[in-house]
This record gives sequence, structure tokens and C-alpha cells, in this order.
Amino acid sequence: MSTIVIEHLARVEGHGGITVELEGDTVGSVRFDVFEGARLLEPLVRGKRYDEIAPTLSRICSICSVAHTLTSLKATENAFEVRVSPQTDLLRELLYRGESIESHALHLFLLAVPDYLNYPSAIAMGADKPAAVLLGLRLKKLGNLIQETIGGRAIHPVNAVPGGFGKPPSVDQLIALRSALMQGMADSDAAIDLMASLPGADFCHSDTIYAALRSPNLDSYYAGDEVMAVSDGNRAIVRAADYKTLTNEKAMPHSHAKHSNFRGRPFMVGSLARLTVNPRRLTGRLAVAMKRLKLQLPADNPMDNNKAQALELINDVERALEIIEQLLRAGVREERPVPVHPRAATGTAITEAPRGLLIHSYTYDAEGRVVTADVITPTALNAASMELHFRCAVEQSVERDEAVISRRLQMIARAYDPCISCSVHLVRRR
Amino acid sequence: MKPLLVIGLGNPLMGDDGIGWHIVARLAGDPRLPETVEVTSGGTDLLRHADQIEGRSRVVVIDAIQDAIEGNGQVGQISILDEDQLDERQQHAHHLSAVQAIGLLQLITPVRFTLLGISISSAAVANQLSPALAARMPAILDRVLQELMCTSSK
Repeated sequence: MSTIVIEHLARVEGHGGITVELEGDTVGSVRFDVFEGARLLEPLVRGKRYDEIAPTLSRICSICSVAHTLTSLKATENAFEVRVSPQTDLLRELLYRGESIESHALHLFLLAVPDYLNYPSAIAMGADKPAAVLLGLRLKKLGNLIQETIGGRAIHPVNAVPGGFGKPPSVDQLIALRSALMQGMADSDAAIDLMASLPGADFCHSDTIYAALRSPNLDSYYAGDEVMAVSDGNRAIVRAADYKTLTNEKAMPHSHAKHSNFRGRPFMVGSLARLTVNPRRLTGRLAVAMKRLKLQLPADNPMDNNKAQALELINDVERALEIIEQLLRAGVREERPVPVHPRAATGTAITEAPRGLLIHSYTYDAEGRVVTADVITPTALNAASMELHFRCAVEQSVERDEAVISRRLQMIARAYDPCISCSVHLVRRR
Repeated sequence: MKPLLVIGLGNPLMGDDGIGWHIVARLAGDPRLPETVEVTSGGTDLLRHADQIEGRSRVVVIDAIQDAIEGNGQVGQISILDEDQLDERQQHAHHLSAVQAIGLLQLITPVRFTLLGISISSAAVANQLSPALAARMPAILDRVLQELMCTSSK
């Protein structure tokens, strides 16, 4: 028996690795060990007041701090039946688009594209192809600018508060953002050009169940309370309050994260799932770009998540521009947050973080202090699907060279854009 | 030219991993901090601070080093590291390590980085530093300030 072990998916030794056991040509055990810090952080919010929860949980991840902040606020507001103003909804959605642009740009240009082109890192790629790296950095900067302008600072937004929004952007700030986004339109087209030029990556094909927030009449990462799962043309809807029937978590001995299954089968969340569940978004420039990328939905190749992220870059820039136009037309007003009246209640929220469905659910006591908290991240939801696709890739490969298989598995893992141990930041001495 | 910028990296929810965050929080209110030095908390993504970094000649990054976890250093020990002393393999699945981020930032701006690494013994879920590292905090601050005074006067 031989064993393929990939250890360096994450910086924390012993976490985030892939292990594949081979018995001749037969694939034995396939394990993906994900360190799921978010679940372990829940005790840190137990007993805290409702207005302390979002600022604390936003620190789970620097890349996804907006996602955790907004999902946390939405869960708290659902618990206390607070309905925020339309202006707050727009500002939160705009903030979310900024995070998505930043996250997708970082992932695609600085992590995924070097894989396709056989570079060990973005720095190495930058020596030969500086334009690709600079394009990624420009788009990332655009996402950061949106978050800083709307959220109030570069990371861990301070303007999103329970019941509303702190300081709204000025007209001048919105006009400046609009100019930056116009440049972003050209850059998102250039992203499609780059993605279309990459070599193919067909390492595994498999029927896949996709799950994403359903927003049939609204292009939103933030609004909506229903998840749709799509499988073989069948569609099933799960309400946010019933999220446990979707996650159906099972503890795995090899992983810190529990595995999720829908009706007994793994499912995939993220950009590819969002476009599959909400195909009405694929019009105009997106439809043209989709043809250029030769993407067909529903897809059977997890590597297509990279193409879906490139399409979402276009969608995010366009949606951000739409929101800014709406805000400028309506006029941005200073609004006082809707008063929050705590009571004993449970609130659940599901939103679309850059890498897929994010769930926060809290039970509060009568004074508005957390009794229990549940945070389920996209990477935890994807863990079982990742293992399935790793297994497919090994089983479908005629190649048995360990280095080739390892590279393919790493590329599949990267296509899922996992957040394995993002809450930790360490450097290692050589 | 903009003044020297100090960026403290780390996650304060992950115990000693947040040492960079704790140091800049303390430096911000320390009267000994030279007026010509700016400090900011960087979370875990150095690249997000590209705008703040552009236009500066020098940036100091404070981050945890895991050598005490591996038994190679003493908790709270400060190392002043050049880029070639860091392990380039450290790579997140979805964002970049400080070392890689420094390499990328140098593609767009001619800034010099100094990394002050603080050796830590654990990086587990906790909203405070370990007693061992917390006890070393006054000495760490003294040493960091000494280094900043020296760097900012160059």
C-alpha cells in the first residue's frame, strides 16, 4: 500500500492536509483534515451582549471579516425581529461585494492562476508575468477600497451595527468609488481574458449537488432566507431556521470539522453553486464571458469554481455600480439604527460569503446575552465534497505518479478556495 | 515621505498568535512611541494594507513566529528577521503568508520591510495571551520600542 500525504495546504502543521491511501490501483481511504477554528470559537461569545457578538466574530478571519460581521448582525436582528432600512440593506450588500471582489482577486490571481501555469507562487509568476499579478493586485485593491469606504476601515468593519449602519458614505466618496469601479469593469474583463487563456484542468468529473442562497428576484449575497440545493435537475429548498437538515453534520475522527451531507450526499457551496442556483444572473456581459470560458451549468468539474469566481468578479463590479447609482439617486441620509429590544429568542442567518454559504445561529436570553452560538463556515460545508472529488480525481487518473496526483489534488483543493486555518497567522523560520 | 509604519499581525482570538495585535494596541497608547511612527493592527492579511504601505520607505511588521512551538526558541524572544530567514513554503489555501505578501508588495512599491518575530509556544483558541507570554510583555515592549527608535532615526 502507498500513501500520498499533502501537508502544506495550511501553515499550521497537522491541519488542512490531504491523505490518500492506494492499494495498487485501488483507492482506499481519502481524508481531508480541516482545522475548523470557527466552531471552537463559540465559547468566546457565550454570555456576551448582542452588540458585542459581530465585532468579536468578525475576527475569525481577516479575509471574511465582512461576511462574519454581516451574517452575525443578520442572525441577531432575526432573533429580535429587527427590520433594517432599505438604505442599510444596500450599504451592507455593497460592503459584501467589496469583500467578494477582494477575496476572488486574491484567490484567482495570486493562488489559483500560478497553479495552472506551473509556478510555485505568485511571486515567481510575477517575475515572468507581472501584468497578471498587477491585475490581481488592482482588483484586490478595488475590493479593499469599497470595504474601507463603506465599512469604515480596512478590516473588521465598524459601520455595520445592530439595527442599521453607523456613518454612511458621502456623495463624494460614492462618486470616487464609482470611478474606481469603472476601471474595475475593464479589469474584470481582463480577468476573463486571462482565465480563458489558461490550460484545461480536467482531473475529475462527478455529478455534484450544489447549494446556495436562493435570491430569485434579487442579486444578493446578503438578503434571503432560503437555501436551494440543486441535484440532477431536482431542486429542494431549505429555510434558514431549518439549516440543520441541510448541514446534517457528522463528526469525523480525522477532521476537526464535522462533515455535512444533504440527504446522505456531499454538496458543494461557493461561486459555482451560486451561479447554478441563480442562473438568471447569467445575462449580458456574464453570458458572453461564460461562453468564452466554455462553462456549462450544472458543471461536473470542481475546477470550474475558478471560472465561476471570474464571472462573479464581473457580476460584483456591475452590482456594486448599480447599488451606488441607487444610493446616489435616492440620496444618502444619516439614519439612526432601528432600536433593538432584546428578548429570549433564537435567530439564524445564512448569507453568501466569498467561498460559499455561511451560517450563524444564536440563542439569546431575556437580557440579550448569548446562551448558545453556532457558526458553520463554507469550508466545513465543503469538506465532504472535497473528499469526494479527491477520490474521483485519483480513481479517474490513469497516471499513478505521486507528484502528478499530488499536484492535481492541490489544484482541486485550491479551486474550492478553502479557509482552513485562517484564524491563525504565524511565520516559520527557515 | 510618509513616516515609518508598524503593522501588528495576528488574530487576538487565537491566543498567542495575536501577539502582533496586542503589541500595536499597547504601542498606540505608549508615550514613548516616537511621533514619527504610525502603528496599525493588520489582522492576518498584510496585503490588505497595500495602500497604507505605498509611498513609504520603511515598514516594520510584527508577527508571531512558531519556533517556540517547535522547541527552537524561548517564548517572547524577539528576532529581527530578513526575508531569507523565513520559510517561503508557508502558504495559506486562500490567502498569502506575510513573507509572500512582502514579496508581492515589493513588486509594486520599493519599500524595505523589517520583520520583528515574537516566538510563541501555542496558537490555540483563547481571547488572551498565555501567562508565559503575557509575563514577557513589558520586556517585549521595551525591546520593540528600542528597535523602532533605532529604525525611525535611520
